Amino acid sequence: MEPAIELAPGAEDHGFAPMLATLLRQNLDDHEDKRATAMRMRGRVAMVITDLGMSVTLEFVPFAVRVHAGIVGIPDVTVRAGSDHIMKMSMLELGRFGLPDPRGAVAKELAAAEKAGAIKYFGALANIPLMLRLTRVMSVNA
Amino acid sequence: MSFKFPTEEWTKAYQDAVNANEGYRTHGKPWTFGAVAFVIKADPSIGLPEDVGMIMDVHEGVCRGTTFVKGMDAVQSAPFIVVADYARWRACLEGKLDPIKSMMEGKLKLVKGHLPTMLRFVESSRQLVVSATHVDTEFLA
Repeated sequence: MEPAIELAPGAEDHGFAPMLATLLRQNLDDHEDKRATAMRMRGRVAMVITDLGMSVTLEFVPFAVRVHAGIVGIPDVTVRAGSDHIMKMSMLELGRFGLPDPRGAVAKELAAAEKAGAIKYFGALANIPLMLRLTRVMSVNA
Repeated sequence: MSFKFPTEEWTKAYQDAVNANEGYRTHGKPWTFGAVAFVIKADPSIGLPEDVGMIMDVHEGVCRGTTFVKGMDAVQSAPFIVVADYARWRACLEGKLDPIKSMMEGKLKLVKGHLPTMLRFVESSRQLVVSATHVDTEFLA
């Protein structure tokens, strides 16, 4: 069983939403463990790409992930970063149990960017399981 | 010597530029996933009556060959196909557009291919663009 990756109505013409949907679909197709993780996810994650002036919302519901253009509903977590850092999140190295590997070069770069204020997370501390699972399903690494 | 973009001559010059780019040789070394086709959408107003494509047979940091083709059907053999209109490609070739950022904005579209693989080669994609900036190019518009 795998969750359907759906583009919400209107998101087809958005620049980033179809790309994100493709990334998630192909990632889940490739990795059974990521499919299982996605099936357990519930909630909304908004991504605001500051330099491109665009945002998307990932809505995790039973058996589906919906990708919306813009911020839709009330996000549980909001990530605010530039396009470079948003893309880097998909390249985060994963370690044991599919958790982010803090020793990885990308992990270190993202941590430094967060420290410098270039990446801001809102609601992440209250939704740690959602964040960790998001990292896992978005990462192009196994 | 300048080359009109897009033409077969430009495509060959681009191949030479890619192979002369040390950065591409390094970052593209692990690439073994097949050819990449770049398609320029038709725009009769600038003298481009049909889609044209350049298929780059890139492998392990080297461009082994190129094919200049007309029409979308002709590029379907490539495992990766990136499509954009002329103005976007021009901006890219002039180094004004970052390829990955452009894909995020929907200005360049990966219409075929495995996106997670493409994302693992972000720097290699950038080096392909850097290579293009080294070709003395004459643009249609």
